[in-house]
Amino acid sequence: MSDSSVTVLTQMTARLLLAPILVISVAVLVNGYASVGDGFSAGVIASLGLLLQYVSFGRERSDRLLRLRLVPAAAFAGLLGALAVALVPLLRGEPILTHWPPPGSDAIYVGSLELITAVAFDVTVYVLVVGCVVGFARAIARAGEGVAR
Amino acid sequence: MLIVAPLAITWVAAAALALLDGRRRWVGWLAAAALAAATVSLAVLTVTVVDGDEVEQVVAGGWPAGVGIVLRADALGVVFALLSLVVVLFALVHEVVAGVRTRGFPALMLFMATGLTGLFLTGDVFNFYVFFELAMISGYVLSAYGGETRHYGAAFIFAVVNLLGSFVFLIAVAAIYHVTGTLEMAVVGERMTEVDPSAAIMIAVGIFVAFGVKLGLFPFHFWLPAVYVGASPAVAAVLSGALANIGAYGLLRFGGELLSQELALGATVLIVIGSASVVYGAVQALSRRDAGEVLAYSAIGQAGYVLIALGVGGPVGYAAAVVYAIVNSLNKALLFLAAPLRGWLVGAAFVVGAFSVAGLPPTGGFLGKLELFRAGIDAGSVALVGLLFVGGALSFVYMFQIYQYRYWRNERLSDPSPALLRAVALTLAAVVVVLGVWPEPLLLAGREAAQNLGAGQ
Repeated sequence: MSDSSVTVLTQMTARLLLAPILVISVAVLVNGYASVGDGFSAGVIASLGLLLQYVSFGRERSDRLLRLRLVPAAAFAGLLGALAVALVPLLRGEPILTHWPPPGSDAIYVGSLELITAVAFDVTVYVLVVGCVVGFARAIARAGEGVAR
Repeated sequence: MLIVAPLAITWVAAAALALLDGRRRWVGWLAAAALAAATVSLAVLTVTVVDGDEVEQVVAGGWPAGVGIVLRADALGVVFALLSLVVVLFALVHEVVAGVRTRGFPALMLFMATGLTGLFLTGDVFNFYVFFELAMISGYVLSAYGGETRHYGAAFIFAVVNLLGSFVFLIAVAAIYHVTGTLEMAVVGERMTEVDPSAAIMIAVGIFVAFGVKLGLFPFHFWLPAVYVGASPAVAAVLSGALANIGAYGLLRFGGELLSQELALGATVLIVIGSASVVYGAVQALSRRDAGEVLAYSAIGQAGYVLIALGVGGPVGYAAAVVYAIVNSLNKALLFLAAPLRGWLVGAAFVVGAFSVAGLPPTGGFLGKLELFRAGIDAGSVALVGLLFVGGALSFVYMFQIYQYRYWRNERLSDPSPALLRAVALTLAAVVVVLGVWPEPLLLAGREAAQNLGAGQ
């Protein structure tokens, strides 16, 4: 569905921007808590990057080149993951969404990244948001193709 | 932990089943099993809360109250949550037996159950809104279920009008936060008494309009007939039997608990609008011949009764509102599920529903009307008691008009529906009869649920 209104220049820019956008989204994702950023906004940034690809290359080409076909299903995986993080504390007899390690104790560091369950929760939110937006984009694109035919 | 169980079961099951093809029989039954498990756990919770006279509360993350998000189960919440899950369960089983036509249907029903459970069991105004939207969005998609043009038409009207309603509600929530500085329901109720009356009245009007749209009360009813007639039977049962509970619960919770002074101030307006709803719904229903249309207009009228009871207020009025809302939601679910069926005993199920709408013993509807009459006498108003009587008589006429049209004229023209489908409708009819024959649980639920309402008056 590469129509004439999308020029090579747009496509080139979109392709060049994809990697930086994804890197920034991951940076925003792990940057949260003490400073600005969290899973939701990071997910929105990443999905904007992917939307740009759909707009410039069309649905079929983007799906083929970036292997995005299964991304919408990942939304449900993200939701299940988020629910798991929320509900696992119940097994330990604590209220839902109790995070580990508890406030005040030492977390495990990887570089400057703290490994706490709140990060895991944000990662699942990130996957959920990206999955949803890509799913919506593909559904709308499919409907548009139906109209075009 | 009991309070988390129904929410967790429906939510996890919904997310997992969304990945599977819901048209397969076993996926549908798996969804029904998950929903049944959630309903049972909620029933246990209801018994502990209503019998033990206590409020179960969990603060997410183990934070101190006021910082963390609160899940709270009091009598009003659990009664409505249990009612809604029972209705969704019946509708889901009905559709699974009849054959699910789209792959997302079982998961959507579970997402709706999640939203409904969550909004009835939350102690936080904003969380209420979030779960409310979850239930409504599932409702928007479900109302398109069936895939024909009329289903899409119904879905479009439903989504547009109710999005407007949600928007008004969101503005009211923002206003509540602005004037009270908190979103915790218990604290909002306390601080609302000190708020500038002009602001509080604006908030109360916004909340009333939002839930009036949900419930389909008289001036906001215009969307309702088109949607209920257009949607497929199981969906119409869920929309009128489960999703409309949000309106009744919202009016009780926000009006009776959070804005009780404003509710007392607007009591006359509520009774007038409620009466208009009753008369309008009954007269319109009387002039229709199609079962779906009659039921839709009847829903408008029945919502009016809840509003009248709310306007009367006091322990008797609130209890009547709760009991009537419970009975009405079961009636509507039963009638929408039974109306399209054909065959032996289906007419009996429909008659039980018709009796219940008209308020005749031995059905649950009798108790609803009885409580309403008590509320009317409590208010000392002859006009109100007269209106209740006329409304009941009119509903008797329009329900039996439809009964005649559907079951006496065309009885032998069509094949009987599958036995299992009829069994589902009959089971629901049995529930309505049992509530009427053994009234104690229903009346106790009404009394307990109304206990904490209207404290600020």
